[in-house]
Amino acid sequence: MIELLKVPSLTTIQDLGRFGYQKLGIPVSGVMDDYSARLVNYLVGNDDNAPLIEFVLQGPTMKFYSSTVFAVAGEADIYLNGVKIEPWQSYWAKRGDVLEVDVLKRGVYGYIAFAGGIKCEKILGSCATYLRAKLGGALKAGDKLKLGYAILTKKEGKALPDEFKPEYPNESEIRVILGPQLEHFTKEGIETFLSSPYEVTPNSDRMGYRLEGPKIEHSEKGADIITDAIPLGAIQVPANGKPIIMLADRQTTGGYAKIAVVAKVDVPKVAQTRAGGKLRFKAIRVEESQELLRKRETLLRNIKALLEGKLRAYKIKALGEEFVVFTEV
Amino acid sequence: MQFKPAGDSALVIIFGNEIDERINKKVHAVAEAIEKASPEWLIEIVPTYTSVYVYYDPLKIGYSEVVEAVKPFLNAEPKKEKARIIEIPTVYGGEFGPDIEFVAEYNGLSVDDIIEIHSKPLYRIYMLGFTPGFAYLGGMDERIATPRLEKPRLKVPAGSVGIAGKQTGIYPLKSPGGWRLIGRTPLKLFDANREPPTLLQPGNYIKFVPISEEEFWEIYKKEWGEER
Repeated sequence: MIELLKVPSLTTIQDLGRFGYQKLGIPVSGVMDDYSARLVNYLVGNDDNAPLIEFVLQGPTMKFYSSTVFAVAGEADIYLNGVKIEPWQSYWAKRGDVLEVDVLKRGVYGYIAFAGGIKCEKILGSCATYLRAKLGGALKAGDKLKLGYAILTKKEGKALPDEFKPEYPNESEIRVILGPQLEHFTKEGIETFLSSPYEVTPNSDRMGYRLEGPKIEHSEKGADIITDAIPLGAIQVPANGKPIIMLADRQTTGGYAKIAVVAKVDVPKVAQTRAGGKLRFKAIRVEESQELLRKRETLLRNIKALLEGKLRAYKIKALGEEFVVFTEV
Repeated sequence: MQFKPAGDSALVIIFGNEIDERINKKVHAVAEAIEKASPEWLIEIVPTYTSVYVYYDPLKIGYSEVVEAVKPFLNAEPKKEKARIIEIPTVYGGEFGPDIEFVAEYNGLSVDDIIEIHSKPLYRIYMLGFTPGFAYLGGMDERIATPRLEKPRLKVPAGSVGIAGKQTGIYPLKSPGGWRLIGRTPLKLFDANREPPTLLQPGNYIKFVPISEEEFWEIYKKEWGEER
């Protein structure tokens, strides 16, 4: 068990999301950055969907009441009993130890995973917290979290090789699939969207990121559509012409025209961009986007096997570029 | 009918471009047919007014294959069985519906007229969305249409029945809101511990039934397990 001592606001328990209930108006929720969350779970020997702590900009402080292995995702100063430790590595914690996670130096969302995952009461099949409907609640000081059972031996001391650590740039190119309501925009409007930088505004949260930038022109059909569904990463453009990227806690349906949907592999990049950071959009075909996703999945599977000691990774240089090659042990 | 990708993990099947009962019935018939077949690549289905969103796992199937895979389901016909009608006991006016007098005045009617006109029709549930358990209803009499509040309320109690423009609806959760509130139901529209978690289902019909304050608190106690 662990007890939370200091808890910044919006610290929650999340997993990969609550699926199957969107037709009843219940949002998917789940982690904002599934790449980081899955990797940090692998570092402690967990599967992809193990419940973990998600924090925003500043991490919590906690005390361990029993031994466990944990890891932190996110670039922050981290202290175990006052001694500095590294992110993206798994450590042993014993009864009485105190873990402090300071402010993130880059990115927005950080994660703390524990071997065996956090035990939580699943609501509609998931531990994902959705604050607006009180599905789970924000964590607060004094909360005690139970951990799931896991064999702890040989789980500590695992480190994620640098080349797999996500970057949190303040300017990113975000690949998108145009549509599904492209006819609600003029040619110029689409051109503006694809050629201008858009800045993430402070008015952004787990529901969506509001962007500021050149106004996107609607066609004579206007900004409103007959309300339909909102997939993860959908980019809505209301009448003011300023795009909103819909993220984990998005409402399931909405009435603004969607100019594009972010490629799933680039959703973590969006989520980790701070207010003031800039995004540029690049259109790709749906098949390309699915190919990128398959590649990322293969990479994640390989990293998991690498951390489990089932694969080795080698860096090779070819044509001036560095590649990582995985081989069996 | 049209097929479009909505990103790399969703296919939209578009059946029309107007809010129409016939189109919406087709939407629900096709959504149900795909869901019932539950192909292994399916993540979930969201039927809307005029479209079906098919959320799929792109690691298991590609976009053009999904389009082919859903085609056999497109001839699914709406079932002929009698529609389910859910009665919504509602107290109109007073503290439960603080805007009912404004709605009456705005439309040149009496408060009793509003209650009668609002509680008369069978409202079809075209879709659920927005927040857990919120139903998009069709069929409100335009004689009681009223614009939204200029400044939304910060707290609208769960169960509040409101009017916004030409539509009417019920707030499932306590939330901010800009609808003109004309009444409130003691029923719980969303309960995560219930299966299904929402009282209303797309394709059902609802009927508002005027009740007294005493009846409201009696039902409220049963539904919410608290006095008020």
